[in-house]
Amino acid sequence: MRHPGPRSRSWFDRIADPSEKALAWLLLTPAIVFILAIVAYPVSTLLWNSLHDVRLLTAQGARFVGTENFALVMSDGQFWRAVRNTMIIVVVTVPGALVMGLALAMLANMPFKSRGPIRLALLLPWAMPLAFVGLIFAWFFHSEYGIVNDVIQRFGGEPRIWFNSPSLTMMAICIATIWKTSSFMALILLAGLQTIPSSLYEAAEVDGASKWTQFTQITLPLLVPSMLVALIFRTLTAIQSFDIPYSMPGPGEETQTLAMYIHMNAVDYLDVGYSSALAVCMFILSMATTWIYLRYVRSDSK
Amino acid sequence: MRVILKDYMAANPGVKVSLEVGGATSELTQRYLSTVLTARDASLDAFLIDIVRPAQFAAAGWTEPLDKYFGADREAVRAQYLDGYRTANTVDGRTIALPGFADAMFLYYRKDLLEKYNEAVPTTWPELARVARKILDGERDPNLQGLSFQGKAVEGAVCTFLLPYWSLGGEIVRDGKMSFDRAKAEASLKMWRQMVTDGIAKRNVSEVATDDTRKEFQAGRVVFGINWGYAWNHFQSGTGTTVAGKVGVTTLPAMPGGKTVTCGGGWSWAVSAFSRNKVETAKLVRHLTSPAVAQQLAVRASLHPAIASVYRDAEVLRTVPWFADALPIIETAHARPVTAMYRPISDALRINFNTVMAGVRTPDEALNEIEHRIKRALR
Repeated sequence: MRHPGPRSRSWFDRIADPSEKALAWLLLTPAIVFILAIVAYPVSTLLWNSLHDVRLLTAQGARFVGTENFALVMSDGQFWRAVRNTMIIVVVTVPGALVMGLALAMLANMPFKSRGPIRLALLLPWAMPLAFVGLIFAWFFHSEYGIVNDVIQRFGGEPRIWFNSPSLTMMAICIATIWKTSSFMALILLAGLQTIPSSLYEAAEVDGASKWTQFTQITLPLLVPSMLVALIFRTLTAIQSFDIPYSMPGPGEETQTLAMYIHMNAVDYLDVGYSSALAVCMFILSMATTWIYLRYVRSDSK
Repeated sequence: MRVILKDYMAANPGVKVSLEVGGATSELTQRYLSTVLTARDASLDAFLIDIVRPAQFAAAGWTEPLDKYFGADREAVRAQYLDGYRTANTVDGRTIALPGFADAMFLYYRKDLLEKYNEAVPTTWPELARVARKILDGERDPNLQGLSFQGKAVEGAVCTFLLPYWSLGGEIVRDGKMSFDRAKAEASLKMWRQMVTDGIAKRNVSEVATDDTRKEFQAGRVVFGINWGYAWNHFQSGTGTTVAGKVGVTTLPAMPGGKTVTCGGGWSWAVSAFSRNKVETAKLVRHLTSPAVAQQLAVRASLHPAIASVYRDAEVLRTVPWFADALPIIETAHARPVTAMYRPISDALRINFNTVMAGVRTPDEALNEIEHRIKRALR
């Protein structure tokens, strides 16, 4: 005879017929395990490493050093140069990609007969691997064989040795990055554009509003939510810029980004402690940026 | 190398050696080996490493010290090699690796031009600049360079920077501690920069890598060239060479009042700490670093031996006669900083050297950064 009540049930019954709360936990467990394994464990290891002197090239094991790694980071000119370079990429390429992406999205949203090929062309840069784009643009800007200098010369200009100057290299990196990331922007903005009901434009048309007024008064305000989403994603990936600057190196380490500097310390120097401290700094930078954006979104929706 | 291994397998039945090829440059090989060895992979028994690496491998615990495998022969094995090579492969008194072959930087010069202007081979850098200036002024050839050296941020630039620094008695690391001598480093940077501003070296020397020096010298566009041993064969019999028979080779000049040094290069054989066949592998490595194999490598591949007696071998002198001149130069070879932290130090030196040569940074700014980065690497 079976007696009702949770305490007296056999373990088999409890698994085969769990209560609603237990079921919820049961179903969530795989997700929780995954999150612990791929987020919590690496992040806590990173934090632990950043407080220790861990160098795989020395036989000594990890040694607790407190905030010494962070003090070194703060006094490290190379770190600040990497932060500056990363910030230049953020400040130039995020708005750049937004403007280009908006233009592309408007173009793709036009009532063409065959929008398919245009949308496909729009997606192509997005589908390309980053390192691939970096290598292609490195050839474009090559001082002797590059197409950019060829075009400059055809128009009577002076060819330049792009990768011999930090500022010209940064310019080339930004152009490549904008080309590569505009299509992602366009993709999200296009989705946003399609949610705007066409009745709004028809009403504006009746009221005699010009195309420009329609753009500034209807399109832009209604696109703000999609723009914010796109901007957050784009800013975060810009802070993590690695592939393109890595495949388009300037003189010395003048155009090194933060991610490149972390890679150098971790992979080439096997200095796990110091590179973890650098990664924590980058994490803080990304968190701060996201927080500013989210604050803007909340205050905007109120 | 394949011939040598085949002979070894024929002489040692039951031992099978297979050869695996790492990266094309020292840095890429290093990246490959550090991946395999950080993972404690046992698939490689022995490996060939750049002469700058033994300290790093020893500190990381990637190599098996070889002394115990040689027993009573230990001292005899070690005594065969030239001093510089014995030192570079010994870390804290343990034999970490054995030299497979040697190399060094040489000063190549145009015998014909020096004779034409009745000048002797210069022995100091200012003397070299004076002779080069005289020849440049006399030849009036806009394509001719007085001196070609490596200013690009490659490993060769570490040597370029260190040559005058060592000549003045400077060291980067002594007993594992930083011993950076700022005045001597400044003298080195200024000397090289002046070669550029005085027009002895070409203006874009910051783009010149090792093989560019070789190509330009071979094309007859250089009076004095600094390069490794491999360049000699190209000058004498490379395709389209215009300088065959006109090239002299000598020790690198010194700083005024300094000593004569060159930058030692070459590669060493080491046994993996994770190998499952250490005894057999140590035997193989001992064979690969023996005088007999060094003689074979000299004759077949014109690689410089790290063993003095091989330079006097009749067959070697017949096939590569210039090795007779090379021995005294190799004997002045100075080892690059012996430290586990070689890579960050090498980066600090070559990148800053490069930016000074390009005129992007002043010697003072470069020295600040070099000092800071070495200090951090050796903390």
